[in-house]
Amino acid sequence: MRSPEDFRPLYWTMLGLGAVALLILALGVLTLLRFAPLGQHTGYHAQVDGVFPYNARSGQVDGPPSTHFRRDQPFAAQVEWDRLPAGMVVSARWYDSLDSEVGSVGPAPAGQLADRRALVPVVTPADLHANLPGSYTLKIVRYSGGQPVELLDSESVVVLHDP
Amino acid sequence: MILTSAYRRRWRPTRFWLASLLGLAVFLALVVSSIASLAIGPVPLRATIFGLPAVGFVLAATVFFLRALHDHPTVRGRDLTRAGVLLLVGVFLWLLVLDAFTFTHAAGPGVAAACAAACVPTTAVGLLVLRRLDRNEKEPWRLVLVATAWGAIVSTSLAFWGETVWDALFTANLLPGPGADASTAYSAGIFEEVAKGVAVLLLYLVMRDEFDDVVDGIVYGAAVGFGFNFMESVGYMTHLYALFAPEGTGTTNAIGMWYWRQVIGLFFGHAAYTALIGAGIGVARQLPRVGQRVMVIACGFLAAIAAHFAWDAWQAVSLAGIRNTLTLILLAHARYLFMVGPFVAILLLLLAMGLQLEGVALRRHLREEAESGSGAVRPAEVEVLMSPRRRFHVRMSALAGGGVGAYLRESRLQTAQLHLAMERWHRERQELADPMAAEDVLRAQVLALRTAAA
Repeated sequence: MRSPEDFRPLYWTMLGLGAVALLILALGVLTLLRFAPLGQHTGYHAQVDGVFPYNARSGQVDGPPSTHFRRDQPFAAQVEWDRLPAGMVVSARWYDSLDSEVGSVGPAPAGQLADRRALVPVVTPADLHANLPGSYTLKIVRYSGGQPVELLDSESVVVLHDP
Repeated sequence: MILTSAYRRRWRPTRFWLASLLGLAVFLALVVSSIASLAIGPVPLRATIFGLPAVGFVLAATVFFLRALHDHPTVRGRDLTRAGVLLLVGVFLWLLVLDAFTFTHAAGPGVAAACAAACVPTTAVGLLVLRRLDRNEKEPWRLVLVATAWGAIVSTSLAFWGETVWDALFTANLLPGPGADASTAYSAGIFEEVAKGVAVLLLYLVMRDEFDDVVDGIVYGAAVGFGFNFMESVGYMTHLYALFAPEGTGTTNAIGMWYWRQVIGLFFGHAAYTALIGAGIGVARQLPRVGQRVMVIACGFLAAIAAHFAWDAWQAVSLAGIRNTLTLILLAHARYLFMVGPFVAILLLLLAMGLQLEGVALRRHLREEAESGSGAVRPAEVEVLMSPRRRFHVRMSALAGGGVGAYLRESRLQTAQLHLAMERWHRERQELADPMAAEDVLRAQVLALRTAAA
């Protein structure tokens, strides 16, 4: 004897849920393609000279390159902008370990940035006394039609916890 | 007892082989991730010292396994079970050591312990609410807690390395912004939900006599989710504390994280996602055709991955550009309601449908058992057994009359009677391999418990 309970509503509810899930995941793929479009690889590579201690008053680097900094130690990345085509629109941005943007240059033509030897300093947020500890990542991207389309290089350094 | 009587044959159903393969795959993944944690990850080599008790358990498991090879066939199963349990305890202990280092090393053991202590009561509340919802036939605490521990210890270990590798291979090469957010969200959705779902799948394959339907699936799934949420909350709280402590706002940030993850997100997060997987597996438990079962299990996994993905991928978009603090706080709350809320609503609908089906079936089988005159269930007991409140009153009366022992005996009797009704339901639906033996054993057990209770 089979039980009289009807399991079809449960079955169809699960299938409906699966269909909605597929739709959501497909929307995700569209988001990915829209904001990280395929076929944008130019073969250019931005060269980061290094990340240096930075003197905010003079606006110049101050000391040898390093991969580790103290919280109260300003630092900036030096990029070889002249290796990129002068007309290529690019920008460079620092992200802290919470993925918040903490300093940038551009977007501007690489030639312009090369002319003024633009550094990319990390800017301590106004509500903090010093940089947060953790990993900081510099991302250099190319723009096309006002939209970032290609990652040209990235570089990471660490801001140490206070001793 | 149910398991041995239901599956006495020397061969084991396909599901045991599937479970073995799945277990082996998980074990190998954990071995690789453990090596990676020590070799290139955040865990220092000194962690191996804290893993010595785990080594002891694994050694004991090996001894029992080797003994089982020489055992008489009638007692071999007992030693194999002991070996399996000891191995599981050893693996859990070892992973706990790695997790403690991986997720809490930044802030130190004191802060990590305080964060864990803050998350224990909320997780306990979640489990108690879950138990309350499971009104007809409650799942045994030992299995619910094993599911929770799996979520906290095993799933987090599995997901951590999967996500790390994905980030290194894909996300790090993407443009920052919504594209990278979507990639991270795919990574979190896929690795975390699969790592959690494996626990529910293993329970479904191995503990079939305690995995009856969609209600049980939701209970086990949510339990795994609570465990995962516990460990992740502790990890995030300690991380934020370590970041902001030098600014003097470490505690405030950790409390804020606790509020979002352990109060607002307790039911609107990992518990809901994994409960969707459990719902799929639970529905599959009672479907007749393999194709249908595979389909609903896949739908459960897809739903969980999609729900998790949606939350992670578009959470930044929903709060972008808002500067006003009050608006930000209101929107952050609304985000839970509108992004996870629909999935929770469907989950509650599935739970209600499951409870309705389960309740009708149990009442029918309790009545039939009462009418059969076996003595296992008396006519007057049917309505008592169908009401959690009335069951509780009977137990309390036993407590008042005969103390804790009487309460426990009454509780065991009620559980066995409900098990018997559930067994009858599964036999009626031809969902058991060898149902009659199991049913007879259960009936005899109920009668023995009744004598003891009297």
